[in-house]
Amino acid sequence: MSALRAWAEPRARILGTALLAGIVVGAVAAVSYGVLTEPRRARTVVFAVGALLLGFGTLGWSGSAMAGRGIENMQRYLETGSDWTERDSRRAMTRVAGFGLGLMVGAPLL
Amino acid sequence: MSTDTQSTQERPAERSFLDRLRASPFLSELLSNRLAVVGLFIIVAMLLIAVYARLFLDLGAITSSRLGTSIPDRAPPGWAGPAPFNEQLFGTDAAARDIYKRTLYGAWLAMKFGTITVGLSTLAGISLGIIAAYYGDVTDNVIMRTMDVLLAFPSLLLALALVAIFGAGLWKAVIALILVYTPRFARVVRGAALKVLEDEYIDATVALGAADPRVLARHILPNTLAPITVQSTLNFGLAIIDLAALSFLGFGAQAGTPSWGLMLSRGVENGLLTGKWWMSFFPGLFLAITVLGFNLLGDGMRDALDPRMRD
Amino acid sequence: SKRFLVKRLLLLVPVLFGVATLVFAILHLAPGDPARVMLGQRASTEQLMQVRQDLGLNDPLWVQYLRFLGDAVQFQFGESYQIAKGQPVQSVLFDKLPVTIELAFYGQILGILFGIPLGVLSAVKQDSLADHLTRVGALTGISVPIFWSGPLLILLFSTYLGIFPTSGRIGSEFFAGSDYTAYTGVLTIDTLLSANPAAFINAVWHLFLPAMVIGVYAMALLSRMMRSSMLEVVRQDYIRTARAKGQGLRITLMKHGFRNALIPVVTVIGIQFGTLLGGAVLTETIFGIGGIGTMLVNAIGASDYPLVQGTVLTFALLFTLVNLGVDVTYSYLDPRIEQ
Repeated sequence: MSALRAWAEPRARILGTALLAGIVVGAVAAVSYGVLTEPRRARTVVFAVGALLLGFGTLGWSGSAMAGRGIENMQRYLETGSDWTERDSRRAMTRVAGFGLGLMVGAPLL
Repeated sequence: MSTDTQSTQERPAERSFLDRLRASPFLSELLSNRLAVVGLFIIVAMLLIAVYARLFLDLGAITSSRLGTSIPDRAPPGWAGPAPFNEQLFGTDAAARDIYKRTLYGAWLAMKFGTITVGLSTLAGISLGIIAAYYGDVTDNVIMRTMDVLLAFPSLLLALALVAIFGAGLWKAVIALILVYTPRFARVVRGAALKVLEDEYIDATVALGAADPRVLARHILPNTLAPITVQSTLNFGLAIIDLAALSFLGFGAQAGTPSWGLMLSRGVENGLLTGKWWMSFFPGLFLAITVLGFNLLGDGMRDALDPRMRD
Repeated sequence: SKRFLVKRLLLLVPVLFGVATLVFAILHLAPGDPARVMLGQRASTEQLMQVRQDLGLNDPLWVQYLRFLGDAVQFQFGESYQIAKGQPVQSVLFDKLPVTIELAFYGQILGILFGIPLGVLSAVKQDSLADHLTRVGALTGISVPIFWSGPLLILLFSTYLGIFPTSGRIGSEFFAGSDYTAYTGVLTIDTLLSANPAAFINAVWHLFLPAMVIGVYAMALLSRMMRSSMLEVVRQDYIRTARAKGQGLRITLMKHGFRNALIPVVTVIGIQFGTLLGGAVLTETIFGIGGIGTMLVNAIGASDYPLVQGTVLTFALLFTLVNLGVDVTYSYLDPRIEQ
């Protein structure tokens, strides 16, 4: 049980923080952009941008898991080398996806 | 030069870029690399052609159709075909336009839009890379891993996706490519900037209370110039190819524009099955030579900058 | 192991979900009204309203998104607006996909067949003439755009020399149904299954130039990668030990080095397959092979949204499956990795 918690907690925190940030930014963006243009159009754009980030993050997350070894090898043998790791990449992609999902939730709220 | 920089002349990082270039073995190393010199020569020649075309060629005459004039359409190059048409060195296209002049003008377009693409993506990459390196932690993680995922996409497919959002057109294609190329620069800049930040004198400067932008501009930027230059050179050729590919597929330059990609697409359309080779041969030849020039020079620069890179 | 494979296979879910969401976002950020695309410029306002209603374009975006995900799960994208007007996207994809798979597969094979030996040669004879030629060749291979080398090869070998056909997938003298049966849509397989050697050779003959053109990029990358990986293996201790025991360098390299050097190269093949798909877009256009690459370009150009969605998802599916195959090969080469 505690093993599960140790696994879930940091992941939930990363996702949750990003999600919350997304909801707030999404709502604010939809409202302020809505003042400039028509509200419906504003919600659509913010929602679509959120979907863009969610899709990108999810794809990046699974791509990192899928092709991680290949990317690490490619950087090792072909380029100047970098500190890319699969874990690091998945964590960042969780943030991006969470933020995007937040935008999608936040945009229609107001 | 401000007195500021003179008083700190001893510090290696703060000498001007040119000084360091002269002092380092970079230039002599580069010039001893025969292939790199060939690349440099090609690029200079292309630049001269580009400037010549921009200054002396009449854009109207090579853009609009010449059908109905005394000039024949789809005529082979003068030295290859029958006698009367030998004023067209590279032949004419399906609208009776002079392929020689159009190809020369294509050099101007390639250099111009290549510079814009690479220049702006370099600027964007510098900002992102320095921000990532300087702030570190979550900012760094999110920025750089996003860049890495973007890098993993094949550049042409990513550009096509962006073109689907922006719509077709030369400038829109350029914007799409700027976004496609930014990650490459961001990564190089971040790597170089991290190396500088590791040196303690940055910490000392920060401790003395220097504001962020000053620290960044004074200390990090000069040290990242060399790797950025190498990266720009290497990517210049690729950017030209990708831009031409977008034009070839119909998402870039508009009909009539003497861009190499568009000329190739017309050549394939009008000359492939009938054996009118000159329509696609010459624009493609110029394109390939230009790209090869940038690749040769870029490779040579990379070797000269970091001799360890050569196995 | 089985668990490893299942884990990899499960990754298909987030990949396809991510791609579907991405495509949904792109199409809703794209300019243009789908109803207008469908009906053309002369449609009346009433018609437009009706189509918008029918397509559900008036619903809130999150409703459209959920509906889209539901359809995407069943690989239902509706009907093509423009390119294959009125035809379901599924059946269009079903027709065109084998064309692209065949081209990419043979391109990949040629890339491996030439790239890996050249990389080995380059490493074994480091700094020799062969090494330099290979490296300059690889650089030239990257510098020469497909849309130039392709037309030149057609002009030389097809138009002038008449060795290869200029375009298409099989000669007009062969008919599907009578000369061969379209079991898979992959002609080199169909003609073999139909036991028609003449048609098979004809199909291979059609495929040769495009596969060559598309394989050059793969070749350039793989040879560079193989060279660098091989050189690293050479420096490692056990090679030195083997040499100290009196074996010649070349035998040592082939015996110990090759297999170990191959491992990182194999991992890269999966990623590089993506570039190959990008190349397919251009190659199909040049050689008049109507696969999903050409279709994607046409669909983007005509704002044929359902077709774009279907094609992009198919590309992602292909890419994921190839990477799965690479993983299997990899775990076979390096059994340590099975977690």
